[in-house]
Amino acid sequence: MIMEKGFVENGFIIDLSTAQNTTQLVFELSSIMEHPDVKGKQICLKLGNLDLKQSQLLSIKALIESMNASIAFIDTESEQTEASAVSLGIIVSKVSENENAQIIQPQKFSDADEEKVIVKEEETKTVEVSADMDMPSGPVETAEGVEDIYDEMSTEELSEVIPSESFDRTDFGAFAANEGLLPNEETSKYILLDTGNVLPEGIEENSDSTGSMPTLYLNQTLRSGQTVSYEGNVLIVGDAHPGSEIVAGGDITVWGILGGIAHAGSNGNVSAKVRALKLNAIQLRIAGLYARRNDTLNVPYVQKSNEFTPEEALIENGKIVIYKKLRRD
Amino acid sequence: MTGRVIVITSGKGGVGKTTTSANIGTALAKAGYKVVLIDTDLGLRNLDLLLGLENRIVYTIVDVIEERCKLKQALVKDKKNPNLSLLAAAQTRDKTAVNAEQLKEICNTLKEKNDFVLVDCPAGIEQGFQNAVAGASEAIVVTTPEMSAIRDADRIIGLLATKEEITSTKLLLNRVRPNLIKSNEMMSVDDVVGILEIPLVGIIPEDTGIITSTNKGEPIVNDEDALAGKAYRNVAQRILGEEVPFLDLDEPKGIVAKIKNAFAKLKAKV
Ligand SMILES: Nc1ncnc2c1ncn2[C@@H]1O[C@H](COP(=O)(O)OP(=O)(O)O)[C@@H](O)[C@H]1O
Ligand SMILES: [Mg+2]
Repeated sequence: MIMEKGFVENGFIIDLSTAQNTTQLVFELSSIMEHPDVKGKQICLKLGNLDLKQSQLLSIKALIESMNASIAFIDTESEQTEASAVSLGIIVSKVSENENAQIIQPQKFSDADEEKVIVKEEETKTVEVSADMDMPSGPVETAEGVEDIYDEMSTEELSEVIPSESFDRTDFGAFAANEGLLPNEETSKYILLDTGNVLPEGIEENSDSTGSMPTLYLNQTLRSGQTVSYEGNVLIVGDAHPGSEIVAGGDITVWGILGGIAHAGSNGNVSAKVRALKLNAIQLRIAGLYARRNDTLNVPYVQKSNEFTPEEALIENGKIVIYKKLRRD
Repeated sequence: MTGRVIVITSGKGGVGKTTTSANIGTALAKAGYKVVLIDTDLGLRNLDLLLGLENRIVYTIVDVIEERCKLKQALVKDKKNPNLSLLAAAQTRDKTAVNAEQLKEICNTLKEKNDFVLVDCPAGIEQGFQNAVAGASEAIVVTTPEMSAIRDADRIIGLLATKEEITSTKLLLNRVRPNLIKSNEMMSVDDVVGILEIPLVGIIPEDTGIITSTNKGEPIVNDEDALAGKAYRNVAQRILGEEVPFLDLDEPKGIVAKIKNAFAKLKAKV
């Protein structure tokens, strides 16, 4: 990522005009948006001649707003994109020649060529697993709005465009430090309960691969009082309401809003993960570590939303940390 | 130490048992007493939400009974007041997971180390009610000034009278709206006390602040300005044996109201 120093009142220009397709664009934008400096800022998006449908632009807007930033205006060459923007009330304008704002621009996409092969392999693997899990390819009813970002992405396309640098571990690490379980009560989303290690007697800590465990696939809403308990992984397509409880020997994945208790790696598996399109669990438990949602986020009623910021929780150095998006090892 | 075990019950659902438990418990704890609240509404627990403690619950009363943890481990300390703790109900189980004998034992253990054990009872007169009442020696019956709630309260008072262990049964009238009483659209306090014939321990006004306080997980007694908060603080003081006049809910009052007020006070002392 090249950052050219400049200045502007509380704003940035993000230049995505070199993106060749929407997938590339969304991906680049999301990794740029993770930069802490971008938070809370006014953003001007340079979109070049890429054609964006209204739904796609809406998803992009949601992505930016989910990082507490907002779109000041967009600069586009495409009539289609312009029409989409107008229909969404987004201002269309031109970045002036002598604009002083800081320009953020992804490295030329072709630079990632070398890495393509490796990425491709990883992605293929992932796709296979998804197929096993019966992931529906069509729009998901309970998660309206989400499909927009993905609807134009064939998996093949996806495997080609992800620049490997976007998976830079140190970047994510820094992010996790901001979002994860730090002792700071003010800023942590989750705070460890001082229950000590709550593994039942006779159960030993392990880090068996969750990838080889069987998976329970559920396409339903989990309501208050309902429990799902399974020795392997649990995949729920739908929301898990507050008051519900999911206990899995392996990973827990909720394609929807996770609002209840989620206990992954319940047999002591410290490599288990909890992931959700919206991670709002009242309590996160992985193996013997229990964490509560910060009181400042304590909303006892179900808060439904069509805006999603997928997150993944896992144990790192004896703490539960949260990543803003899926990580590939 | 032998603390007092008080069950908060009603017969009818939604009249304010849980709200009352949370508020009286908080008020007593603020007054310096050690208090444990027990939620016995298995499968429909709420008390943790009202106190904003849901995210801290690891063990529930069912875990205690089924010996997955010690009683002490299951007590969740209040965020603000270390004198107050909660024994939560299990959300994923039903009433049959607990029996009266087990609840009685828990109450007996808890009252040795606490000044007050308040038991939030589920609606109905079946097992949940029988469980909740089992360890108690006092009862507060919550009702609203509605015929159906009063009818159910009457039924509960009758059932409580058959329990030897219950030595005191008092009435808490909730969601009172002075305006409606004035325009004869709501039964007055005296009407209700007249029907139920048990001493009054509190009159709580209808207060929209209760809804916001529930959503925030913060009992309204913590709000110094709220009228309902004041009313609940007064209930706590009465439980502690003090004589506190009933709140004047109807600000500009006439001589009739004064007499009524005095009447209610008189009844309360019976
Ligand atoms: N005095 C009051 N003013 C306004 N709303 C009240 C009052 N008391 C209770 N409520 C509301 O009534 C509903 C039921 O109260 P709750 O305490 O849960 O009843 P119960 O435990 O008897 O079922 C809740 O939504 C609560 O906010
Ligand atoms: Mg209740």
